[in-house]
Amino acid sequence: MMIGLEIHVQLPTASKMFCSCPTTDAEAPNTHVCPICLGMPGTKPVLNKKAVECGIKLAKMLNCEIPDIMWFARKTYFYPDMSKGVQVTQYEKTVGSKGVYLLHGKKPIGITKIQLEEDPGKTKRVGDQSSLVDYNRAGTPLTEIVTDPDFSSPAEAREFLKQLITDIRHTIDLPGDGERSIRCDCNISIGKERVEVKNVTGLRNVERALTFEAIRQTKILKAGGKVDRETRRFDEERGVTISVRKKEYESDYGYINEPDLGVFHIGEMVRSISIKESPVNMAIRISREYGIDEKTAGQIVSTSVNLAKTFEAIAEATGSPQKAVSWTTGAISANWKAFEAAGKDPAGIVRITKRFADGDITDIEADIELKAYMTGSDIGTIKEQSAGLDQIVGDYLDSHPEIIDEIKKNEKAINRVIGHVMKETGGRYSSSDIVSATKGALASRL
Amino acid sequence: MKDILASLPGLNDKYSMFSCIAEDADLGDSKFLFSAEDGLTSKDMMTRCGSKMLDGHRPVFDAAAIEKMRAAGGKLIGKCNMDEFGFGSFGTNSAYGIPKNPFDLERSCGGSAGGSACAAAAIDGHVSLGASTGGSICCPASFCGVYGLVPTYGRVSRYGLVDCGNSLDKVGLISSDPELLARFLPVISGKDPREPTSCAQPELELKGERIGSVGVPEEQLEGVSKDVLSCFESSLDVLRGMGVEVKMIKMPSLKYALSTCFIISAAESSTNLASFVGMRYGQQEGDLSMRFDDYFTYFRTKYIGEEARQRILYGTYIRMAGLRERYYVKALRVRLHIIESYKKAFAEHDAILTPTMPFVSPKFEEIAKMTSDESYGIDRLACPPDVAGMPHISVPCGYDGSGMPIGMQLVTDHWKEDPLITFAKDWGKAFDVRRPEVSL
Repeated sequence: MMIGLEIHVQLPTASKMFCSCPTTDAEAPNTHVCPICLGMPGTKPVLNKKAVECGIKLAKMLNCEIPDIMWFARKTYFYPDMSKGVQVTQYEKTVGSKGVYLLHGKKPIGITKIQLEEDPGKTKRVGDQSSLVDYNRAGTPLTEIVTDPDFSSPAEAREFLKQLITDIRHTIDLPGDGERSIRCDCNISIGKERVEVKNVTGLRNVERALTFEAIRQTKILKAGGKVDRETRRFDEERGVTISVRKKEYESDYGYINEPDLGVFHIGEMVRSISIKESPVNMAIRISREYGIDEKTAGQIVSTSVNLAKTFEAIAEATGSPQKAVSWTTGAISANWKAFEAAGKDPAGIVRITKRFADGDITDIEADIELKAYMTGSDIGTIKEQSAGLDQIVGDYLDSHPEIIDEIKKNEKAINRVIGHVMKETGGRYSSSDIVSATKGALASRL
Repeated sequence: MKDILASLPGLNDKYSMFSCIAEDADLGDSKFLFSAEDGLTSKDMMTRCGSKMLDGHRPVFDAAAIEKMRAAGGKLIGKCNMDEFGFGSFGTNSAYGIPKNPFDLERSCGGSAGGSACAAAAIDGHVSLGASTGGSICCPASFCGVYGLVPTYGRVSRYGLVDCGNSLDKVGLISSDPELLARFLPVISGKDPREPTSCAQPELELKGERIGSVGVPEEQLEGVSKDVLSCFESSLDVLRGMGVEVKMIKMPSLKYALSTCFIISAAESSTNLASFVGMRYGQQEGDLSMRFDDYFTYFRTKYIGEEARQRILYGTYIRMAGLRERYYVKALRVRLHIIESYKKAFAEHDAILTPTMPFVSPKFEEIAKMTSDESYGIDRLACPPDVAGMPHISVPCGYDGSGMPIGMQLVTDHWKEDPLITFAKDWGKAFDVRRPEVSL
């Protein structure tokens, strides 16, 4: 089984690829249009620099070769939603090519190329006899990422896409609100001929469409039939793919260089653009560098990239990655959200853990100081509170000795303690505080 | 100016230089009159590019060159007839009338900017905007006995020029008076943020630089008619008399310019014309309940003229897989080679000089008998600088036995319009330009 993906990502630019029309959702059809994106005779395109920056960032993220000079191409095909009868895309010199992207940090997926192009408009069928065309989307900047046929199963393709989308969002600050879509063309061949399922949206649908196709093609081949090279679409409701047209061979698009834009010397721009480490790569690196398990590293990074950075700082300062994990996943992550939102400096956290590592304070003191620092409350109050909490937990355990036995058998029984205390204290304490108080109380009782 | 405005309908009846004339005869604050090839968009007049496809098309914006001429106080008096989308050398491929040569109504004005040259020849003190892809300004300028200036590629914004071969197209000027070229070139030149290929230009400076030496590529004189040749040779004597050094040189690569120009312009124009499918602007007729590709086929077959259809087919063919490398990609390489050979020549000479056309304007009956190859071939002298993107000018340099004008073409290096303009002004003083008799 050979599976490859072509992923279309709408880029987060304020204006369209070649004109100044907005890319945001319009209230009515054909309102975010101008003579340029309508392809009126005599208009000329002007390239959006931000779109090129996004393209370069993604090419870097995908470890692509990026040329010093790139240009655009015209792909000619007739379709009502193509206002110019040509789509401006890239053909010979794309913004990136020959990249490689590691799935789960291990399996290399080849990136054939990444190119910049414009989205066509939308055609909407109305009744049986007619269609309406809305050009609001025409000219929205896109990148198309084409992978090598390196996936061995529909599930793997889905995993890849999930990881890729997280990384893309992080790298080019693509909002997750769904206003800009990510669409996928799925190529799959069981035998010799390749079938393309166009315009699938959503991770689950990608896997469903590929699985359906794998089964359909296998059945045909088993029955001695021949799979046609064609383009199909995915019917989300019925979960089936439907033939749209027999596939034209790509070169029939009659590519020529886009003469109105000229060539772009992007070498300088490429050198000046650096990309943020992607969350996926960061988790993998942290796991390797500090010898902690991938799942934990993934959890820390997915809570917040800054939390992961703080973890690294603690590990460096204390010289103990294991201690850094327990601090980070314990008291620090419990108070992280509000702390980060308030824009406070994580250096203070690192200082406290360092003092603990140096033996200046005990772990309980460090815990209290962290809480005080992160929440901005007074140490005395926290001490009182925690004494109060210890009291409540202690009382509860003393009056319910059977729970201690249960916890001995099954750690998860601790949840009952937490549940009870939370209810009784009305949310005054965080669950992690209750957990550590309970653990402390249990230590003297088990 | 009032008299000219009043005479336009009569003039047009006789010469068919305009596809439409300004309806509004009010001069207002206008300082001068001008006309423009119908391939340049205009807000107040239809823009149809000689094609039935665009009948009724009223653009919502002015082409940059028209906008600048208006801003300088110009009144656009008419849109000039042209070969459909620029495809032709005789002005005969227009759906809105075939311009007739003011020196002989039975002869062509040349093309594709035939109507512009016709207006420049027939109207006193007139300047017309034209566009050149492969000889489209110099050919009609030569046939109509006027000056035709094609600036460097990128000197004048192409915003609003309906594309023929985008990487070759240039907006230029045609006039019987070289002083008007000098006056209006600075008006229409300059960077335009709406048109990226105009933004790489150095500033235009007209400081009167003179051409001291010209090279005449001798291969280009082969096959040129006797009348044109003798006229050209006596012009060389005039030049020598003006103190210009004249040398015969060899530029063998120029013979590839015509096919290079044809291939690049056909490839590019066949994609430009893909936007014309009815439905959105221009001609709107047709049954929209057809399948869209049937509708497109119906519409394009009906409304695109014979020559344009041929160019679309050629252009599509040479872009196809397997052929693309052999034709399109090769032509791009040959273009670089031609530029290189000009650059070499400019190391020795200030300008390259040839006759503009190999013969005087033919009669319409002769044109009708020409094969496609013959009619494409007439631009072989005019088109090489267009391929190289270099500025060039056709100046009238004599008349044959029947009084038909003959022109010669000078080419200078990229961005060197100044010496061409200076030369035209000097030449205008040395050479007695005849004006056609225009009687209504």
